[in-house]
Amino acid sequence: MSGQGQVKIVDEHDPEVSPERLIERFGRDFFRDFDIDDPRLNEHFHEVIDLMVQKCPVAHSTVGTGYHVFSTEDAVRRIGQDWQTFSSAKGYIPNRPDDQPMMIPVEQDPPNHTSWRRVLNPHMSPQVMDSIREDVAREVNLLIDKFIDRGECEFISEMAGLLPGRAFFIYVLGVPVDDLPQLVHDVDKSLFGPLETRTAYHKKVYDYLEEFMRKRQQMPPQGDIVDTILKNVTYSDGQEAPWEHQVSVVLDLTYGGISTTIYALGSTARHLADHPEQRQQLLDHPEWIENSVEEFVRAYSPVVAMGRTCMRDVAVEGVQLKEGDYVMLGFSGAGRDPRTIANPKELNFAEPTIHHATFGVGPHRCIGSHLARMELAVFITEWLKRIPHFQVKPGTEPVYETGFMRAMSSLFLEWK
Amino acid sequence: MQLKVDEMLCSGHSRCAKFAPAVFSLDEAGFNTAVGRVVDVPPGEEDNATKAMKACPERAISDAGQ
Repeated sequence: MSGQGQVKIVDEHDPEVSPERLIERFGRDFFRDFDIDDPRLNEHFHEVIDLMVQKCPVAHSTVGTGYHVFSTEDAVRRIGQDWQTFSSAKGYIPNRPDDQPMMIPVEQDPPNHTSWRRVLNPHMSPQVMDSIREDVAREVNLLIDKFIDRGECEFISEMAGLLPGRAFFIYVLGVPVDDLPQLVHDVDKSLFGPLETRTAYHKKVYDYLEEFMRKRQQMPPQGDIVDTILKNVTYSDGQEAPWEHQVSVVLDLTYGGISTTIYALGSTARHLADHPEQRQQLLDHPEWIENSVEEFVRAYSPVVAMGRTCMRDVAVEGVQLKEGDYVMLGFSGAGRDPRTIANPKELNFAEPTIHHATFGVGPHRCIGSHLARMELAVFITEWLKRIPHFQVKPGTEPVYETGFMRAMSSLFLEWK
Repeated sequence: MQLKVDEMLCSGHSRCAKFAPAVFSLDEAGFNTAVGRVVDVPPGEEDNATKAMKACPERAISDAGQ
Protein backbone atom coordinates (compact mmCIF):
# COMPACT_ATOMS: atom_id res chain seq x y z
CA MET A 1 0.00 0.00 0.00
CA SER A 2 1.30 3.41 -0.88
CA GLY A 3 2.23 5.89 1.82
CA GLN A 4 0.16 8.55 0.10
CA GLY A 5 -2.71 9.92 2.08
CA GLN A 6 -2.41 7.89 5.28
CA VAL A 7 -2.96 9.59 8.60
CA LYS A 8 -2.83 8.20 12.12
CA ILE A 9 -5.56 9.46 14.40
CA VAL A 10 -5.59 8.24 18.00
CA ASP A 11 -9.40 7.97 18.19
CA GLU A 12 -11.34 8.13 14.91
CA HIS A 13 -14.61 8.52 16.85
CA ASP A 14 -13.40 11.61 18.72
CA PRO A 15 -15.73 14.38 17.44
CA GLU A 16 -12.99 16.98 17.98
CA VAL A 17 -10.93 15.49 15.14
CA SER A 18 -13.65 15.11 12.50
CA PRO A 19 -12.91 16.97 9.25
CA GLU A 20 -16.04 19.10 9.77
CA ARG A 21 -15.03 20.14 13.29
CA LEU A 22 -11.43 20.93 12.23
CA ILE A 23 -12.64 23.00 9.27
CA GLU A 24 -15.13 24.80 11.50
CA ARG A 25 -12.43 25.58 14.06
CA PHE A 26 -9.38 26.30 11.89
CA GLY A 27 -10.77 26.76 8.38
CA ARG A 28 -8.89 23.66 7.26
CA ASP A 29 -8.57 19.98 8.16
CA PHE A 30 -4.91 20.22 9.16
CA PHE A 31 -4.80 16.48 9.98
CA ARG A 32 -5.79 15.00 6.62
CA ASP A 33 -4.95 18.07 4.52
CA PHE A 34 -1.96 19.73 6.20
CA ASP A 35 -0.21 22.74 4.67
CA ILE A 36 2.73 24.25 6.49
CA ASP A 37 2.39 27.50 4.47
CA ASP A 38 -1.37 28.03 5.07
CA PRO A 39 -1.83 31.39 6.86
CA ARG A 40 -4.48 29.71 9.03
CA LEU A 41 -1.75 27.56 10.58
CA ASN A 42 0.01 30.78 11.55
CA GLU A 43 -3.21 32.14 13.01
CA HIS A 44 -4.04 29.04 15.12
CA PHE A 45 -0.50 27.81 15.52
CA HIS A 46 -0.32 26.32 19.03
CA GLU A 47 -3.94 25.13 18.93
CA VAL A 48 -3.23 23.11 15.77
CA ILE A 49 0.20 21.86 16.87
CA ASP A 50 -1.05 20.81 20.34
CA LEU A 51 -4.11 19.05 18.97
CA MET A 52 -2.01 17.34 16.31
CA VAL A 53 0.60 15.93 18.69
CA GLN A 54 -2.13 14.72 21.05
CA LYS A 55 -4.63 13.34 18.59
CA CYS A 56 -3.00 12.98 15.16
CA PRO A 57 0.61 11.79 15.52
CA VAL A 58 0.87 11.35 11.73
CA ALA A 59 -0.76 13.99 9.52
CA HIS A 60 -0.69 14.19 5.74
CA SER A 61 -0.35 16.97 3.21
CA THR A 62 -1.31 16.83 -0.44
CA VAL A 63 0.64 19.97 -1.32
CA GLY A 64 2.97 19.35 -4.30
CA THR A 65 4.24 15.79 -4.20
CA GLY A 66 2.70 15.36 -0.72
CA TYR A 67 4.29 14.58 2.65
CA HIS A 68 3.59 13.14 6.08
CA VAL A 69 4.16 15.06 9.31
CA PHE A 70 5.31 13.16 12.41
CA SER A 71 4.73 15.02 15.68
CA THR A 72 5.54 12.76 18.63
CA GLU A 73 8.89 13.18 20.34
CA ASP A 74 9.54 9.45 19.92
CA ALA A 75 8.92 9.34 16.16
CA VAL A 76 10.83 12.57 15.52
CA ARG A 77 13.82 11.18 17.43
CA ARG A 78 13.79 7.81 15.68
CA ILE A 79 13.48 9.34 12.21
CA GLY A 80 16.17 11.94 12.95
CA GLN A 81 18.61 9.32 14.21
CA ASP A 82 18.04 6.87 11.33
CA TRP A 83 19.83 8.80 8.60
CA GLN A 84 20.36 5.64 6.52
CA THR A 85 16.59 5.28 6.04
CA PHE A 86 15.64 8.97 6.13
CA SER A 87 17.98 10.97 3.93
CA SER A 88 18.61 14.71 4.10
CA ALA A 89 20.35 14.77 0.72
CA LYS A 90 17.19 15.49 -1.28
CA GLY A 91 16.36 18.62 0.68
CA TYR A 92 15.04 19.64 4.09
CA ILE A 93 11.86 21.35 2.88
CA PRO A 94 9.09 19.67 0.89
CA ASN A 95 8.60 20.58 -2.77
CA ARG A 96 11.99 22.22 -2.82
CA PRO A 97 12.52 24.70 -5.71
CA ASP A 98 14.89 23.11 -8.25
CA ASP A 99 16.80 26.34 -8.81
CA GLN A 100 17.90 26.65 -5.18
CA PRO A 101 21.42 25.34 -4.51
CA MET A 102 21.74 22.55 -1.93
CA MET A 103 22.68 23.71 1.55
CA ILE A 104 25.78 22.05 2.92
CA PRO A 105 26.05 20.17 5.26
CA VAL A 106 22.36 20.23 6.29
CA GLU A 107 21.35 18.67 2.96
CA GLN A 108 23.98 15.93 3.06
CA ASP A 109 24.15 12.50 4.70
CA PRO A 110 27.11 10.83 6.38
CA PRO A 111 29.91 10.26 5.52
CA ASN A 112 30.29 13.59 3.64
CA HIS A 113 28.13 15.34 6.23
CA THR A 114 30.40 13.92 8.93
CA SER A 115 33.50 15.26 7.15
CA TRP A 116 32.15 18.78 7.63
CA ARG A 117 30.72 18.38 11.11
CA ARG A 118 33.95 16.87 12.45
CA VAL A 119 35.90 20.05 11.61
CA LEU A 120 33.09 22.55 12.30
CA ASN A 121 31.85 21.24 15.68
CA PRO A 122 34.94 22.31 17.68
CA HIS A 123 34.29 25.94 16.64
CA MET A 124 30.71 25.78 17.96
CA SER A 125 31.26 23.81 21.18
CA PRO A 126 29.88 24.82 24.60
CA GLN A 127 33.42 25.66 25.70
CA VAL A 128 33.93 28.11 22.80
CA MET A 129 30.53 29.72 23.42
CA ASP A 130 31.39 30.22 27.10
CA SER A 131 34.45 32.17 25.99
CA ILE A 132 32.33 34.82 24.18
CA ARG A 133 29.65 35.05 26.88
CA GLU A 134 30.96 38.41 28.17
CA ASP A 135 31.05 39.85 24.64
CA VAL A 136 27.42 38.89 24.07
CA ALA A 137 26.42 40.37 27.45
CA ARG A 138 28.02 43.65 26.37
CA GLU A 139 26.11 43.57 23.07
CA VAL A 140 22.81 43.03 24.94
CA ASN A 141 23.51 45.99 27.18
CA LEU A 142 24.52 48.26 24.28
CA LEU A 143 21.20 47.50 22.61
CA ILE A 144 19.23 48.09 25.84
CA ASP A 145 21.03 51.45 26.31
CA LYS A 146 19.42 52.73 23.12
CA PHE A 147 15.81 52.36 24.27
CA ILE A 148 15.61 51.85 28.04
CA ASP A 149 14.92 55.53 28.83
CA ARG A 150 12.07 55.59 26.32
CA GLY A 151 10.13 53.09 28.46
CA GLU A 152 9.23 51.04 25.41
CA CYS A 153 10.69 49.29 22.39
CA GLU A 154 9.75 47.29 19.36
CA PHE A 155 11.56 44.20 20.52
CA ILE A 156 12.15 42.48 17.17
CA SER A 157 13.72 45.41 15.31
CA GLU A 158 15.55 46.82 18.34
CA MET A 159 16.77 43.67 20.10
CA ALA A 160 15.92 40.20 18.75
CA GLY A 161 16.57 41.08 15.12
CA LEU A 162 19.98 42.55 15.96
CA LEU A 163 21.54 40.42 18.70
CA PRO A 164 21.87 37.06 16.88
CA GLY A 165 23.36 38.73 13.80
CA ARG A 166 25.84 40.68 15.90
CA ALA A 167 26.78 37.68 18.06
CA PHE A 168 27.22 35.31 15.14
CA PHE A 169 28.70 37.60 12.50
CA ILE A 170 31.05 39.56 14.77
CA TYR A 171 32.22 36.88 17.20
CA VAL A 172 31.91 33.67 15.16
CA LEU A 173 32.20 34.54 11.46
CA GLY A 174 33.98 37.90 11.62
CA VAL A 175 31.82 39.67 8.99
CA PRO A 176 32.37 43.48 8.85
CA VAL A 177 29.87 45.14 11.21
CA ASP A 178 28.88 47.76 8.58
CA ASP A 179 27.54 45.00 6.31
CA LEU A 180 25.22 43.55 8.97
CA PRO A 181 21.97 45.52 8.48
CA GLN A 182 21.81 44.71 4.74
CA LEU A 183 22.77 41.08 5.29
CA VAL A 184 20.20 40.55 8.04
CA HIS A 185 17.54 42.23 5.86
CA ASP A 186 18.32 40.02 2.86
CA VAL A 187 18.26 36.83 4.92
CA ASP A 188 14.87 37.85 6.30
CA LYS A 189 13.46 38.54 2.81
CA SER A 190 14.74 35.22 1.48
CA LEU A 191 12.86 33.37 4.23
CA PHE A 192 9.73 35.40 4.87
CA GLY A 193 9.43 37.84 1.97
CA PRO A 194 7.02 37.40 -0.97
CA LEU A 195 7.46 33.92 -2.49
CA GLU A 196 8.42 35.26 -5.92
CA THR A 197 11.42 37.21 -4.61
CA ARG A 198 12.76 34.66 -2.11
CA THR A 199 15.09 32.95 -4.59
CA ALA A 200 16.56 36.30 -5.65
CA TYR A 201 17.30 37.26 -2.02
CA HIS A 202 18.74 33.82 -1.36
CA LYS A 203 21.11 34.40 -4.27
CA LYS A 204 22.03 37.84 -2.96
CA VAL A 205 23.01 36.40 0.42
CA TYR A 206 25.00 33.67 -1.33
CA ASP A 207 26.85 36.23 -3.47
CA TYR A 208 27.71 38.38 -0.45
CA LEU A 209 29.09 35.43 1.50
CA GLU A 210 31.05 34.14 -1.49
CA GLU A 211 32.69 37.55 -1.85
CA PHE A 212 33.41 37.55 1.90
CA MET A 213 35.09 34.13 1.57
CA ARG A 214 37.20 35.29 -1.40
CA LYS A 215 38.42 38.27 0.62
CA ARG A 216 39.28 36.01 3.54
CA GLN A 217 41.30 33.77 1.20
CA GLN A 218 43.60 36.72 0.55
CA MET A 219 44.05 37.48 4.25
CA PRO A 220 46.39 35.80 6.77
CA PRO A 221 44.75 32.87 8.64
CA GLN A 222 43.03 33.74 11.94
CA GLY A 223 42.46 30.19 13.18
CA ASP A 224 38.69 30.66 13.14
CA ILE A 225 35.79 28.72 11.60
CA VAL A 226 36.21 30.54 8.26
CA ASP A 227 39.80 29.30 7.99
CA THR A 228 38.60 25.78 8.75
CA ILE A 229 36.06 26.03 5.93
CA LEU A 230 38.65 27.52 3.54
CA LYS A 231 41.05 24.69 4.43
CA ASN A 232 38.29 22.40 3.10
CA VAL A 233 37.44 18.72 3.67
CA THR A 234 37.83 15.55 1.63
CA TYR A 235 34.70 13.62 0.63
CA SER A 236 34.31 9.84 0.60
CA ASP A 237 35.25 9.67 -3.10
CA GLY A 238 38.68 11.12 -2.27
CA GLN A 239 37.86 14.49 -3.85
CA GLU A 240 37.97 17.81 -2.06
CA ALA A 241 34.61 19.50 -1.52
CA PRO A 242 33.90 21.96 -4.37
CA TRP A 243 34.09 25.71 -3.74
CA GLU A 244 30.27 26.03 -3.94
CA HIS A 245 30.01 23.66 -0.98
CA GLN A 246 32.49 25.71 1.04
CA VAL A 247 30.42 28.85 0.43
CA SER A 248 27.27 26.91 1.20
CA VAL A 249 28.60 25.91 4.62
CA VAL A 250 28.89 29.60 5.49
CA LEU A 251 25.38 30.16 4.10
CA ASP A 252 24.01 27.29 6.17
CA LEU A 253 25.61 28.61 9.37
CA THR A 254 24.20 32.04 8.56
CA TYR A 255 20.62 30.85 8.11
CA GLY A 256 20.88 28.79 11.26
CA GLY A 257 22.52 31.64 13.16
CA ILE A 258 20.00 34.39 12.59
CA SER A 259 16.30 33.69 12.03
CA THR A 260 15.94 30.88 14.54
CA THR A 261 17.43 32.86 17.38
CA ILE A 262 15.35 35.94 16.56
CA TYR A 263 12.22 33.88 17.14
CA ALA A 264 13.61 32.23 20.27
CA LEU A 265 14.40 35.66 21.77
CA GLY A 266 11.04 37.10 20.71
CA SER A 267 8.98 34.28 22.15
CA THR A 268 11.02 34.29 25.35
CA ALA A 269 10.46 38.03 25.81
CA ARG A 270 6.77 37.69 25.07
CA HIS A 271 6.34 34.82 27.51
CA LEU A 272 8.11 36.77 30.27
CA ALA A 273 6.03 39.87 29.47
CA ASP A 274 2.78 37.86 29.71
CA HIS A 275 3.74 35.86 32.84
CA PRO A 276 4.83 38.19 35.68
CA GLU A 277 4.86 35.27 38.13
CA GLN A 278 7.36 33.36 36.01
CA ARG A 279 9.45 36.51 35.58
CA GLN A 280 9.53 36.77 39.35
CA GLN A 281 10.73 33.16 39.59
CA LEU A 282 13.77 34.00 37.48
CA LEU A 283 14.39 37.22 39.43
CA ASP A 284 14.28 35.19 42.67
CA HIS A 285 16.20 32.25 41.24
CA PRO A 286 18.75 33.43 38.66
CA GLU A 287 20.23 29.92 38.89
CA TRP A 288 17.12 28.71 37.03
CA ILE A 289 17.78 30.91 34.01
CA GLU A 290 19.91 28.35 32.19
CA ASN A 291 17.21 25.75 32.70
CA SER A 292 14.47 28.15 31.64
CA VAL A 293 16.15 28.38 28.23
CA GLU A 294 15.37 24.69 27.66
CA GLU A 295 11.73 25.36 28.49
CA PHE A 296 11.49 28.39 26.18
CA VAL A 297 12.96 26.52 23.21
CA ARG A 298 10.91 23.41 24.01
CA ALA A 299 7.59 25.25 24.07
CA TYR A 300 8.43 27.70 21.27
CA SER A 301 10.50 25.84 18.70
CA PRO A 302 11.77 28.17 15.96
CA VAL A 303 11.83 25.32 13.45
CA VAL A 304 8.31 24.01 12.97
CA ALA A 305 9.43 20.99 10.95
CA MET A 306 12.24 19.77 8.74
CA GLY A 307 12.08 16.99 6.18
CA ARG A 308 13.71 13.77 5.07
CA THR A 309 13.26 11.46 2.07
CA CYS A 310 12.61 7.74 2.62
CA MET A 311 15.37 5.62 1.06
CA ARG A 312 13.36 2.39 1.35
CA ASP A 313 9.88 1.20 2.23
CA VAL A 314 9.48 1.59 6.00
CA ALA A 315 6.68 1.71 8.59
CA VAL A 316 6.67 4.47 11.22
CA GLU A 317 3.92 4.86 13.85
CA GLY A 318 1.97 2.21 11.93
CA VAL A 319 2.01 4.22 8.70
CA GLN A 320 3.59 2.40 5.76
CA LEU A 321 5.88 4.71 3.80
CA LYS A 322 7.38 3.96 0.40
CA GLU A 323 10.84 4.66 -0.97
CA GLY A 324 10.87 8.26 -2.18
CA ASP A 325 8.13 9.43 0.18
CA TYR A 326 8.78 12.74 1.94
CA VAL A 327 8.37 12.99 5.73
CA MET A 328 8.55 15.98 8.05
CA LEU A 329 9.89 15.90 11.61
CA GLY A 330 7.57 18.13 13.60
CA PHE A 331 9.89 19.75 16.11
CA SER A 332 7.21 22.14 17.38
CA GLY A 333 4.93 19.24 18.27
CA ALA A 334 7.71 17.07 19.69
CA GLY A 335 8.47 19.70 22.35
CA ARG A 336 4.80 19.79 23.39
CA ASP A 337 4.21 16.04 23.45
CA PRO A 338 2.19 14.98 26.52
CA ARG A 339 3.75 11.52 26.22
CA THR A 340 7.13 12.90 27.32
CA ILE A 341 6.27 16.19 29.10
CA ALA A 342 3.78 16.14 31.98
CA ASN A 343 2.18 19.54 31.30
CA PRO A 344 3.53 20.54 27.91
CA LYS A 345 1.62 23.82 27.65
CA GLU A 346 3.08 25.05 30.96
CA LEU A 347 6.70 26.17 31.32
CA ASN A 348 8.39 24.70 34.39
CA PHE A 349 11.77 26.32 35.09
CA ALA A 350 12.50 24.05 38.07
CA GLU A 351 12.15 20.84 36.05
CA PRO A 352 15.67 19.66 35.25
CA THR A 353 15.17 16.99 32.60
CA ILE A 354 13.41 18.56 29.69
CA HIS A 355 12.82 16.63 26.51
CA HIS A 356 12.47 18.45 23.25
CA ALA A 357 13.69 18.08 19.69
CA THR A 358 14.06 21.80 19.05
CA PHE A 359 17.76 21.46 18.26
CA GLY A 360 17.09 18.35 16.22
CA VAL A 361 18.21 14.80 16.93
CA GLY A 362 20.73 12.56 15.21
CA PRO A 363 23.77 13.65 13.20
CA HIS A 364 22.08 16.90 12.07
CA ARG A 365 21.76 18.20 15.65
CA CYS A 366 21.79 22.02 15.42
CA ILE A 367 25.44 23.06 15.29
CA GLY A 368 24.52 26.44 16.75
CA SER A 369 22.63 24.99 19.71
CA HIS A 370 25.32 25.95 22.22
CA LEU A 371 25.53 29.48 20.81
CA ALA A 372 21.73 29.81 20.97
CA ARG A 373 21.55 28.54 24.56
CA MET A 374 24.27 30.93 25.66
CA GLU A 375 22.68 33.90 23.84
CA LEU A 376 19.29 33.24 25.38
CA ALA A 377 20.65 32.78 28.91
CA VAL A 378 22.75 35.95 28.62
CA PHE A 379 19.82 37.89 27.18
CA ILE A 380 17.46 36.86 30.02
CA THR A 381 20.08 37.61 32.67
CA GLU A 382 21.03 41.06 31.38
CA TRP A 383 17.49 42.13 30.45
CA LEU A 384 16.00 41.21 33.83
CA LYS A 385 18.78 43.09 35.63
CA ARG A 386 17.77 46.30 33.88
CA ILE A 387 14.11 45.78 32.94
CA PRO A 388 12.73 43.40 35.56
CA HIS A 389 9.09 44.28 34.89
CA PHE A 390 7.56 44.85 31.47
CA GLN A 391 4.50 44.02 29.45
CA VAL A 392 3.21 43.81 25.90
CA LYS A 393 2.19 47.37 25.02
CA PRO A 394 -1.59 47.68 25.39
CA GLY A 395 -3.35 48.08 22.07
CA THR A 396 -0.65 46.12 20.21
CA GLU A 397 -0.61 42.48 19.23
CA PRO A 398 2.59 40.54 18.47
CA VAL A 399 2.78 39.52 14.79
CA TYR A 400 3.84 36.03 13.77
CA GLU A 401 4.69 34.34 10.48
CA THR A 402 4.83 30.60 9.87
CA GLY A 403 6.36 28.35 7.22
CA PHE A 404 8.77 25.54 8.00
CA MET A 405 10.13 28.14 10.40
CA ARG A 406 8.16 30.10 12.96
CA ALA A 407 8.94 33.80 13.10
CA MET A 408 7.83 36.91 14.96
CA SER A 409 7.90 40.17 13.03
CA SER A 410 6.85 42.62 15.74
CA LEU A 411 6.52 42.74 19.50
CA PHE A 412 5.94 46.06 21.28
CA LEU A 413 7.00 46.05 24.94
CA GLU A 414 6.72 48.76 27.58
CA TRP A 415 7.93 49.33 31.15
CA LYS A 416 7.87 51.99 33.84
CA MET B 1 26.01 2.42 39.27
CA GLN B 2 27.37 2.02 35.76
CA LEU B 3 26.25 3.89 32.66
CA LYS B 4 26.84 3.12 29.02
CA VAL B 5 27.22 5.87 26.41
CA ASP B 6 26.20 4.86 22.90
CA GLU B 7 28.80 5.89 20.36
CA MET B 8 26.38 5.97 17.42
CA LEU B 9 23.76 8.04 19.21
CA CYS B 10 25.84 10.78 20.93
CA SER B 11 25.44 13.88 18.76
CA GLY B 12 27.10 16.45 20.98
CA HIS B 13 24.13 18.03 22.77
CA SER B 14 26.38 18.15 25.88
CA ARG B 15 23.48 18.05 28.36
CA CYS B 16 25.15 15.15 30.22
CA ALA B 17 28.17 17.19 31.28
CA LYS B 18 25.86 20.02 32.35
CA PHE B 19 23.97 17.80 34.78
CA ALA B 20 26.80 15.50 35.88
CA PRO B 21 30.16 17.24 35.36
CA ALA B 22 31.81 14.87 37.85
CA VAL B 23 30.67 11.88 35.80
CA PHE B 24 30.90 13.01 32.17
CA SER B 25 33.32 15.28 30.38
CA LEU B 26 33.24 16.70 26.86
CA ASP B 27 35.78 16.51 24.07
CA GLU B 28 36.77 19.63 22.11
CA ALA B 29 33.70 19.23 19.88
CA GLY B 30 31.29 19.00 22.83
CA PHE B 31 30.73 15.23 22.60
CA ASN B 32 30.79 12.86 25.58
CA THR B 33 34.37 11.56 26.00
CA ALA B 34 33.06 8.19 27.20
CA VAL B 35 31.26 7.19 23.99
CA GLY B 36 31.42 3.46 23.40
CA ARG B 37 32.43 2.80 27.01
CA VAL B 38 30.88 1.98 30.37
CA VAL B 39 31.33 4.67 33.03
CA ASP B 40 31.51 4.01 36.78
CA VAL B 41 29.44 6.62 38.57
CA PRO B 42 31.33 7.85 41.68
CA PRO B 43 29.44 7.36 44.99
CA GLY B 44 27.17 10.32 45.69
CA GLU B 45 26.85 11.20 41.99
CA GLU B 46 23.96 8.83 41.28
CA ASP B 47 21.30 11.56 41.24
CA ASN B 48 23.26 13.78 38.88
CA ALA B 49 24.09 10.83 36.65
CA THR B 50 20.42 9.85 36.48
CA LYS B 51 19.48 13.42 35.52
CA ALA B 52 22.13 13.37 32.80
CA MET B 53 20.81 10.06 31.49
CA LYS B 54 17.22 11.35 31.42
CA ALA B 55 18.18 14.70 29.88
CA CYS B 56 19.96 13.24 26.85
CA PRO B 57 17.83 14.18 23.81
CA GLU B 58 19.21 11.14 21.95
CA ARG B 59 18.66 8.68 24.87
CA ALA B 60 22.32 7.77 24.25
CA ILE B 61 23.00 7.04 27.93
CA SER B 62 21.64 3.86 29.47
CA ASP B 63 22.05 1.87 32.68
CA ALA B 64 24.79 -0.69 32.02
CA GLY B 65 23.48 -2.82 34.89
CA GLN B 66 20.20 -3.51 33.13
